[in-house]
Amino acid sequence: MKNLTITIFIVLIIAIMGLYLVTFQVRETESALVTRFGEPIRVITDPGLKFKWPRPIQRVYKFDSRMRILEANLGETTTKGAVPIIVNTYVVWKIADPLQFFNANEHGSITKAKNKLLSQISDTQNRIIGQHYFSEFVNSDPDKIIFEDIEKEMLDDFNIKQNVKKNYGIEIKAVGIKQLKISEDVSKDVFARMIAERDRKTLRTISEGYAEATRIKTDANSIKTVLLAVAEAKAKSIQADGDVQAAKSYKLLEADPGLAMFLLDIEALKKTLEKNTVIVLSTDAYPFDIFKKRPIIVPRDPNE
Amino acid sequence: MTEQNKDIKDTISNKQYSDQLDAAGQSLSEALRISFVILKIIMIVLVIVFLASGFRVVEPDEKALVLRFGKIQGIGDERLLGPGLQWILPYPINKIVKIPVEKNVNLAIDSFWHFESDLELASPTKRKVPPSEPLYPTRDGYCITRSEKQSAAIRGVDGSDYNIIHSKWQLTYQIVDPESFFKNVYVEDVEPGQDYFKVITKSINPLLKAVFDDAVVTAMVHYTIDEALSSQDRIPGHVLKLMQQKLTHQINSGIKVVSVQLNDIKPPRQVDHAFQALSRASQQSETAISKAEIYAENTLNETAGSIARQLHKTLRDETVSEKEKELLWSYAAGAAQAKIARARAYSTKVVENAEANAEYLQKILPEFRKWPELFIQKIHRDAIVHVLEKADEKIMIQPTEGDGDTEIRIMIGDN
Repeated sequence: MKNLTITIFIVLIIAIMGLYLVTFQVRETESALVTRFGEPIRVITDPGLKFKWPRPIQRVYKFDSRMRILEANLGETTTKGAVPIIVNTYVVWKIADPLQFFNANEHGSITKAKNKLLSQISDTQNRIIGQHYFSEFVNSDPDKIIFEDIEKEMLDDFNIKQNVKKNYGIEIKAVGIKQLKISEDVSKDVFARMIAERDRKTLRTISEGYAEATRIKTDANSIKTVLLAVAEAKAKSIQADGDVQAAKSYKLLEADPGLAMFLLDIEALKKTLEKNTVIVLSTDAYPFDIFKKRPIIVPRDPNE
Repeated sequence: MTEQNKDIKDTISNKQYSDQLDAAGQSLSEALRISFVILKIIMIVLVIVFLASGFRVVEPDEKALVLRFGKIQGIGDERLLGPGLQWILPYPINKIVKIPVEKNVNLAIDSFWHFESDLELASPTKRKVPPSEPLYPTRDGYCITRSEKQSAAIRGVDGSDYNIIHSKWQLTYQIVDPESFFKNVYVEDVEPGQDYFKVITKSINPLLKAVFDDAVVTAMVHYTIDEALSSQDRIPGHVLKLMQQKLTHQINSGIKVVSVQLNDIKPPRQVDHAFQALSRASQQSETAISKAEIYAENTLNETAGSIARQLHKTLRDETVSEKEKELLWSYAAGAAQAKIARARAYSTKVVENAEANAEYLQKILPEFRKWPELFIQKIHRDAIVHVLEKADEKIMIQPTEGDGDTEIRIMIGDN
């Protein structure tokens, strides 16, 4: 019994060691290439446990097939119409064809591939940007800006025109311009223009503001004038109505105009001498004439 | 080994051997037995250790994928292991890949900010930068914004005018789809002793930064500098949309942008004074306008109260009936109302006076007709008495006899 257990154990260990020699794993994030005496014979893109002859007969090259980013250096290029701009382009790339990648990059050297890709990026970037006017990157009319389309064009250039999959075994998933700049000298011109634009706006703001303020005041004053005039007219008309109505009463005075005038005079006299009056009178004046001269009053004959 | 064992057994059964040999054989047998037991124990321990190495803890903010010989195991939702203690077949059969999910990662982006030396950063007062100092493309960050439609039209250029603006941002992202993330995004291998979360963020930050910068550059050209400075809540949304477009649709990275925050945005320091002058001008004209508005309000209030504007509007409005206008005027206040009120008072008084006089005359007329002389005299006298009673000072003078005039001097005044 004991002998059997030990035998099984030993066989198992030998089997596992053997398996190590003839199998290999391809992970979900990888693809692999098997070579026989240096000659590529098999491409593996689906993950799992795979078999091979032990070295030196067969050899396995594994490639990480996940997406990586590669950024070109900041570089000056010119648009159509010869406007110099400074851009920085990046690509998101992955190894898409292990065999091509292996062949094109000296047994699949990532560094080699990156260098090739970098020169491809600057080539594509300069060519595509050279096909577009600067006004297609920046424009006062937003509808004329086709920035995103230009990035798309670059992506198509990599994958379709340059066929990076066939030529390098890679695929570009995304392209973008992460810096859009101008040269030092141009930046100074831009500042001068920005300042001029601000100054113009400053003047306009001031003049518009004061014009508006004046308009508001004038407006109010004219409303005031109009309303007061209307009120004045209304007042006049009310007064006139009063006078007309009063005149109706005066008609009644016609019954005895002499008496009426006398009464009105008396009324006026009373009113005007109502307050703060100093009266200087001669002793001849009524009723003080009594002081000077006693009147002679003869009783009337009742029979007369 | 089995051969030896048999020999030992034979030795034990056959007691014809010498005692010395017997003792040696016994001790050898004992040693072998013990070493065999030890070997067995080691084997069992090894198996236990091997199996126990399959235990893994998945933290609450993690999800895990199990790879069997490199292939993701399970179907559908089973592919993702949730938090808790998990057991998997040990290496090299299975391997666990842990991925942090719903864990926010913040990334500060100042690639669009101008260069500042340590001295400038430390200084509390900002250095004044003359317009003659350029921005260096390799050192200073900025975005280009479009210029205004109108000004381009005035100057008759092709519309490729632009401005420069600086901005500072913060990006927050998280991994939401662990499987897509694992399959599609390159992450460096985690060396023993390294924090795998740090390794992941370190690996993917350059990607996010590039996609972010791209989105900002792309978004900014759509705004004028004034829009960029004032509509600070619209631009981050635009940037977020552009980013998500690349991260999800083009790369399928399993990464979600949680938020994009615009921390600071300003025109270049070189043109700062011109921008400040404009903002002062705006303030000035706003002040002038608000002062004018106050003046207008006061003027109108003094003229006709709060309904002055309404009154003015209805003056020439034919759709408003006269009656309604009159009603409206009755609510008027201020100077206009005073004018009308005075007129009303005058009118009332005039009418009442006239009526009173007429009534009085009517009343006394019969009496007057009977004794006109006496009646007049009575009224005359009453009036004089009334006046004299009211007079403050009464002065009587005896006229001189003869021709000469009499001169009187009167001092008028309080004293």
